[in-house]
Amino acid sequence: MSRILIVEDETHLAEGLRFNLEAEGHSVHISGRGEEALDLLLKDDSDFEALVLDVMLPGKDGFTVARELREAKNYIPLLMLTARGRPEDVLKGFESGADDYLPKPFNLAILLARLESLLRRKNWHQSSETAPATTRTAPNGNANPPAAPTAADTFTFDGKTFDFQALQLKVGKQSFQLTLMEAELLRYLIRSTGKPVSRKAILQDVWNLHEDTDTRAIDNFIVRLRRYIEKDPTKPRHLLTVRGLGYQFVLDPKK
Amino acid sequence: MRITSRTRTIAFFITLGAVLTAVAIFLNVSWIIYHSRSIVPLILGIVFFAAIIAGLVVYTIFIVREIKRNERQDSFLNAVTHELKTPIASIRLYLETLQTRPIDEAQRREFYRIMLEDSERLLGTVEQVLKAGEARHLTHKRNWQEINFGAVVTETLELARIRHHLAPEFLRFGTPPRDDLIVMGNSEELRTAVFNLLDNAVKYSAGNKDIVVDVRTPDIDTISLSVRDQGIGIPQPELKRIFNRFYRVQSPATGQVKGTGLGLFIVRAVARRYGGDAFAESGGEGRGSTFTLTLPRVYRA
Repeated sequence: MSRILIVEDETHLAEGLRFNLEAEGHSVHISGRGEEALDLLLKDDSDFEALVLDVMLPGKDGFTVARELREAKNYIPLLMLTARGRPEDVLKGFESGADDYLPKPFNLAILLARLESLLRRKNWHQSSETAPATTRTAPNGNANPPAAPTAADTFTFDGKTFDFQALQLKVGKQSFQLTLMEAELLRYLIRSTGKPVSRKAILQDVWNLHEDTDTRAIDNFIVRLRRYIEKDPTKPRHLLTVRGLGYQFVLDPKK
Repeated sequence: MRITSRTRTIAFFITLGAVLTAVAIFLNVSWIIYHSRSIVPLILGIVFFAAIIAGLVVYTIFIVREIKRNERQDSFLNAVTHELKTPIASIRLYLETLQTRPIDEAQRREFYRIMLEDSERLLGTVEQVLKAGEARHLTHKRNWQEINFGAVVTETLELARIRHHLAPEFLRFGTPPRDDLIVMGNSEELRTAVFNLLDNAVKYSAGNKDIVVDVRTPDIDTISLSVRDQGIGIPQPELKRIFNRFYRVQSPATGQVKGTGLGLFIVRAVARRYGGDAFAESGGEGRGSTFTLTLPRVYRA
């Protein structure tokens, strides 16, 4: 059972979702306005564990709400819903900080499954706070390729530790909380270490989008990841652009 | 993102137009100074330069207008997408719920009621879009009939009350129509025009629903229908624009109301087709507004 906040101004949809989520054993609160949702979530004693957010809201829209939440360092699992299902809208949703995105009209079973998956990750995160996961360190300056990181793992490279469970990236003393999709993308790139991957492959494998899309939106994610892991994001050493193809993760840039 | 890039495009074309116009004026002045002694080239030059400058100005205005129109069409498409998909999403959600979960009888009836409402909303949007398409070629005069306008208004008022679940005191007649008000036209089109006015009054009344409908005869040849609400009002500069196709006032108050920007366009198209007009008055934001539809009155021979 989890506390879920639904931000949706269409009462029919909101009530229908409430009925289903309560039937799944969750407790649900509905808010019809972005501003109110932000207040509810950014309160100190906020106990919501997931957020279902509509984009077209009166006042602050869903994109703005997501962006402000993430800016305020709130990383609640966020499922975005919207009538605008064009690929560029989907990517705009991810850019603003959504973890998952469903176009309306959605399939109920899929919505429930996606939400459960977000909640599961949230729970991994919580359990990893109490019991630290085993750390596997990639050999530094060594030619051995790192083992593909599994879901319950951390990965260390060049003094940076990426915790796949907690979606946290520790760089020196600094610690960044990644959004789900940032983490998924980083994990995917690390998995393909040394191999260039195309933007199209990234869209298909990480976002599950099969349309021919304006793939530049991925570049925004790369820029954000570079800000976390590169000393000088304008001269990337780990996360390289492969011209005409896509991106490549390089473990040990000294070679 | 797209909006800002478009604003930039508009700014670019205005700048380009202004620069070119300035260059033309400068050349024109130089020409005048240079040829100030000889009359023929002077006059020819002034005429041609005037033509060039006028052309540039018209061109710039045209481009900017086109860009703005495009923008309106974009926002219309967004609004219609939302208006079509939201009720479908809702109907689908309830159907899937009914299909997958055990639901008691009372709940089931409630779900049916919600789905019916959604299908009404869907139908409303579809009709509005289709009507706006028809607005260019409304029914031909020879198919017009004598219509009892009072009856049309009374029926439509009843319909609006039902659609919005309003108690009679929130949407009422101030001056009820007499039953000898005849107009020539198509009853379906008239119904749509009247309904759009009532529907808007309810939608833009926010929490303060107090709508008064007056049907009067300001002179012997005219029938006027006024719909007065105490709602969010309209800023002065927008009073005319709101009748444009796809136009919607951008403000926090209107943001809460869903719409396609077609309703008033249809109202005015119908009114003008019938030889009448439609206009809006408002004391400003938050002070309510009054919409008036005038139609020519005919008398039974």
